[in-house]
Amino acid sequence: MLRRLRSLLRVLKSRSEFENGMTEELHSHIEHYAQDLIRFGLSREEAYRRARLDIGGLNSIKDDCREARGLQPFDELSRNLRYAGRWLRKTPAFTVTALLTLALCLGANLTIFAVIDAILVRPLPFPEASRLVTIFNTYPKAGVERDGSSITNYYERRGAIPAFSSLSIYAFGTAIVGAPGSTARDQITRISPDFFTTVGVGPAMGRGFTDAEMEEQTDRVVILADEYWRQHFHADPHVIGRTVWVDSIPRIVVGVLPRDFHFLSSKAQLYLPLSSSPEERLPVQRHSGGNVIQMIARLRPGATLAQAQSQMDAQNTSLERNDPQAKMIAAAGFRSPVISLHVDQVAAIRPILLLLQAGAFTLLLIGLVNLVNLLLVRASSRSKEIAVRRALGANATRILAEAFVETILLVFLGDLLSLAVASAGIRLVTALGADRLPFGSYITLDARLATIALTASIVLGVILALPIAWFNLRPHLAEALQTESRAGTAGRATLILHHSFVAAQIALGFVLLAGAGLLGLSLKRTMDVSPGFRPDHTIAGQISLVGNRYSSPSAGLVYADRLVDELRRQPGVSAIGLATNIPFSGNNGISAAVAEGHVLRPGESPRGSYAYGVSGDYFQAMGFSLRAGRFLTSEDSERNVRTCVVDEDFARYNWPNANPLGRRIFQGIEPGKSADGFTVVGVVGSIKQAGLTDDTAQGAVYYPYIYRPDFNIFVVLRGGVRPESLKAVLQHAVRQIDPDLAVNAIQSMNDRISASLLDRRAPALLSGIFSAIALLLITVGTYGVLSYAVAQRRREIAIRIALGARPERIQWQFFSLALRLLAFGIAVGLCGAWATGRAIEAVLFHVAAHSPAILAISTSMVAVIALAACLVPARRAARIPPLKALTDQ
Amino acid sequence: MEKSELLPGTLDMLILKAVSLNPLHGYGVLLRIRQISGEALEIPQGSLYPALYRLEHQGLIAAEWGQSENNRRAKYYTLTAAGRRRLREETAGWNRLVSAISAALNTTSEEV
Repeated sequence: MLRRLRSLLRVLKSRSEFENGMTEELHSHIEHYAQDLIRFGLSREEAYRRARLDIGGLNSIKDDCREARGLQPFDELSRNLRYAGRWLRKTPAFTVTALLTLALCLGANLTIFAVIDAILVRPLPFPEASRLVTIFNTYPKAGVERDGSSITNYYERRGAIPAFSSLSIYAFGTAIVGAPGSTARDQITRISPDFFTTVGVGPAMGRGFTDAEMEEQTDRVVILADEYWRQHFHADPHVIGRTVWVDSIPRIVVGVLPRDFHFLSSKAQLYLPLSSSPEERLPVQRHSGGNVIQMIARLRPGATLAQAQSQMDAQNTSLERNDPQAKMIAAAGFRSPVISLHVDQVAAIRPILLLLQAGAFTLLLIGLVNLVNLLLVRASSRSKEIAVRRALGANATRILAEAFVETILLVFLGDLLSLAVASAGIRLVTALGADRLPFGSYITLDARLATIALTASIVLGVILALPIAWFNLRPHLAEALQTESRAGTAGRATLILHHSFVAAQIALGFVLLAGAGLLGLSLKRTMDVSPGFRPDHTIAGQISLVGNRYSSPSAGLVYADRLVDELRRQPGVSAIGLATNIPFSGNNGISAAVAEGHVLRPGESPRGSYAYGVSGDYFQAMGFSLRAGRFLTSEDSERNVRTCVVDEDFARYNWPNANPLGRRIFQGIEPGKSADGFTVVGVVGSIKQAGLTDDTAQGAVYYPYIYRPDFNIFVVLRGGVRPESLKAVLQHAVRQIDPDLAVNAIQSMNDRISASLLDRRAPALLSGIFSAIALLLITVGTYGVLSYAVAQRRREIAIRIALGARPERIQWQFFSLALRLLAFGIAVGLCGAWATGRAIEAVLFHVAAHSPAILAISTSMVAVIALAACLVPARRAARIPPLKALTDQ
Repeated sequence: MEKSELLPGTLDMLILKAVSLNPLHGYGVLLRIRQISGEALEIPQGSLYPALYRLEHQGLIAAEWGQSENNRRAKYYTLTAAGRRRLREETAGWNRLVSAISAALNTTSEEV
């Protein structure tokens, strides 16, 4: 076997040498034979004649020799390729249509698949990543879906859950990095010592953290990301033991991470110990997660998610037994789900990606149906030629091989083009914000995807060739040869096939259009939602008050006051406010607050609400509407009387039939001493904190900053000037007061809202593009098939016109054919649209799964397209000059 | 003398035998088979070369260009080790077949 393969390879390598040798050998044979014949007494001429005659046809001998060397399939292939190439060049209109169809449809699929591959398919870049899980606390009945984990959770669970081989916590954040005077804000991640064992990748140099470094007094160590090490230490191999300043505190470098180490989507430059004080680890802190700290764990080999979950539940139950607040926690529906880390990361985006892939696939189906139809039209125009060749003894395999080589070549070329389309498509989805999705930065068109695409193209080519092969091999010899027209007629079966393909195209296009319509309408409804404040002319940026100077809340307030004063002096600024959280910030911290006078019904748990610490003219700067009472001002932080403002949702939930003004609110889950209560001085309109589509009336309480301080503050500026000028003003003022502080994430509120629409805008836009391509394909498909129908019946029509048929009647004949196909297509499409509506219901916002308006618009669009496409061929039919048509050919 | 049709499947065997005696070019193989069969076997010229190429492809014979007796370039075939083995097997197989068939054909009714 191997020997034969080697012999074949040798011949293929020097093919011309083989051919020349063969010719020479045969001629040498004739020469020797003729010389012998001459010696027997024949004349020279006669001898050569005999010699040639006796050996037989040289070409067929050569063919046999080639076959003996296993060369025949290669010869056949190259002949078929040449033939197919000639055919593609000869029919440029068909070739361009087919290649464009393939390039667009395959390109769209490849684009979406590249996104799906990066986000859903490729495993996390860690060893045995399928064993990584995440655990978080949830209190659904208190309105808190996700609360991360607490320090206490970590110390209670570590080593106590047998299904986990290791368990760790982490928290993303930012820090001011660098020695005083040359600082920059960088992303950091705080981790527990077992973090690297859990993910399965550790420092490339040095060591990870120790348990001792989890104490607040001994946590002054840091691990560098590779990028930071290269940029700031020029990849110094002796960096261990050197110092990095983080938030004005010097830390000793103990390790450097490997190149390309990224945890999820974080771009952390430094890793710090997630240290804590003994008080933070007490059982009473168990439910104080606040969604800042996240927990991950690695399943022991062989352990399942279900085992881990039941062990987790068992531990929660036994711990809650001694909890004084056990009843309340149980009423809040407390649980700690264990979920695959990868699944959890992509859970939100998964349905939308699958939806888009389904859309792209529908588009591909339309394209393929179109292509098969065009190929069949082409095949039937060649049926006479094939019939003649078969009658002359061409074997069936050869004719089959031709069809396969032709379509595979066509699809392969289309696929090469689709790679270009896909790389443009990937740029488009990145521009639409796909790189901000989890793992979105991994979206690329790499060799792996290209290989998959090319393999798929060969499979597609084979599938496309099947109907053509069937058509060519039908026993239609006599029929084809007898037909009067040059091209031969298509049989009844072929005609039905053509027509059902057009109807299928219309149906699929209709489904795509209806789906895109639903997504578009849903996007529009979302954009019509009022955020509850006036986002125009407003910008917001974030400042972290870190370092020794801001260790107390009052020091933070002093800074805030200075900043407000400084900004107030700037021209063009009309209102300045500070808040610990703003709408559309992505932080949706919910904490419990109890309203005086609200009696819990049996089974009702204290309700979580959004809590904000505000200072300056926050409400005016953000453009809130005042419903009753007054806004908070800077002075509320300085008074001894505790005041607060609530929103309408909070007021309506807690005091449905009473005036909220003058009533008191307590932070936490129980009313405290009356001096701890905050008196409501104003009611403001509700805002959309978590996004425009968030319909939960969660409620919100605004406290003076001093009573709800946070070292992360947002500065909000409203002004009559352009957002860019406001941004510059803000940056300048912050540097002016303390050069070591920096503002980051400065964005206009309008930009923040529009960024939050990413997962709605991109699908709506992409499905719109898909529908547009689909409409184009329907036009081409309908036009192609009707033109063909007209051309086929050219003589029949000519005779009818010659016999006095009215042109309108003939035109109507083709129109009615188009109408029938359209009606059938839309009827099937309606069923498809119904199913699609059901399937995408979950991602729609305030749009019913079946919107009659959208179905009506889709119907009319498809109808207009299909009838317009049939107009030209129908009119052409009506104007066939009878004499010319009959004398043609 | 009367010429016999070649039995199917025997051409390869005869070629192997011919080139086993000494290296031959294609036309030489034809002459040699005619000679060693006592002029009784005639090889159809058209099927000689495909057979040679097939045997070369199977590695049973090897080819090399050389000078023929009348000073022309010609391709000479020699038997390879594998070819020698194959020839031995085929000869043994053929002899078994022939003796079995002649035994069968010479059987008289008394022997049954």
